[in-house]
Amino acid sequence: MSDTATAPTAATPAAIPPATCVLISGGSRGLGLSLVHDALANGARVATFARTVTPELEALAAERPDDVFVGSVDITDTKAITTFIKEASAKLGPIDALINNAAIGQDSLHVHTSPERVAQIVTTNLTAPLLLARAFLRHAMAKSGRGRIVMVTSVCAQRGYSGLVTYSATKGGLDSAMRTLAREMHGRFLVNSVAPGFFASEMSSVLGNEQLSTITRRTPSGRLVEPDNITPVVRSLLFDDTNLNGQVITIDGGGSI
Amino acid sequence: MSTLSRDQVRTMMAEVLSAQGKELPADDSASLETIGFRSLDFSELALRVEDEIGDELNFDAPGLRSIETVGDVLDFLDQLQTA
Ligand SMILES: NC(=O)c1ccc[n+]([C@@H]2O[C@H](COP(=O)([O-])OP(=O)(O)OC[C@H]3O[C@@H](n4cnc5c(N)ncnc54)[C@H](OP(=O)(O)O)[C@@H]3O)[C@@H](O)[C@H]2O)c1
Repeated sequence: MSDTATAPTAATPAAIPPATCVLISGGSRGLGLSLVHDALANGARVATFARTVTPELEALAAERPDDVFVGSVDITDTKAITTFIKEASAKLGPIDALINNAAIGQDSLHVHTSPERVAQIVTTNLTAPLLLARAFLRHAMAKSGRGRIVMVTSVCAQRGYSGLVTYSATKGGLDSAMRTLAREMHGRFLVNSVAPGFFASEMSSVLGNEQLSTITRRTPSGRLVEPDNITPVVRSLLFDDTNLNGQVITIDGGGSI
Repeated sequence: MSTLSRDQVRTMMAEVLSAQGKELPADDSASLETIGFRSLDFSELALRVEDEIGDELNFDAPGLRSIETVGDVLDFLDQLQTA
């Protein structure tokens, strides 16, 4: 391929550069913590928060004070989120990527889930990530003008799983918002979702052995997903020139096909 | 909140089963699998109890997974009503 084919012109804008500073919600444990480690290993700086900062995250921040900014923030507290972004960027520089990872789970039939719990799941898993994306975009548009967003959604948005009605609705909502944002940001931001199948974490710890073996049995690859299967895909969405935009990438060993 | 006695809940459980042409054995140790009382039957029973006591008894699914016998059903609904 000749150089002229990839050189930016008015008709073909330049590729979105790799992320340099990534905001990750819920980086204290589980998949979020793996994503924090992976972004750092790929040379990015990381700002992350959760309601409780775990010893692992504290140790990481102490070890890499110039590269990591952590805070104890509830994602549903819009004011605290805005302050966190301000403080993080003052320390790390402009933030040009977001991973919307924090969420809470559900394991109750819809008829037996209280209205308060339904509202809490929607607020935490849908409203708050939308507002976090908004706050991030307002910051990034003003600073670097371009960047990347990854929504961590779920295979539950595509397939029915008993006990996850509200949770699934929030993940489907995020997938829809992701596509519309990708269109709305018109190539200035690459916006995609990764939709994992079940993996072991605090969130999925409520699943019994019988359910886990049923899921494994129904998975063509014969094994459950692990965070280490998800991080390379998110890494690519953050750092590679893939031109993927507005897509849901399902990582579930083929369980949903 | 008013509560229903174990016997009253047992009667309702029998009604849920008889609507499906099934019978509730007298023995509390009878297995739910054997009598064909499934998780949505439990759900129906819980909603009938709620209707009667005029309050919601919301609960997560993991608690349900350890329910294996008629006695477990009655114990669980007892606990939910007094929680
Ligand atoms: N595990 C699975 O099987 C599975 C499958 C598909 C998709 N996912 C998705 O993968 C992502 C990560 O899940 P995980 O399994 O790693 O869950 P996890 O171990 O429970 O971690 C969730 C993270 O989000 C944070 N968080 C939760 N509520 C928060 C709030 N109100 N404010 C700020 N932070 C909050 C938690 O910290 P605090 O609790 O301290 O706030 C924690 O850091 C989620 O989006 C989940 O929906 C998980």
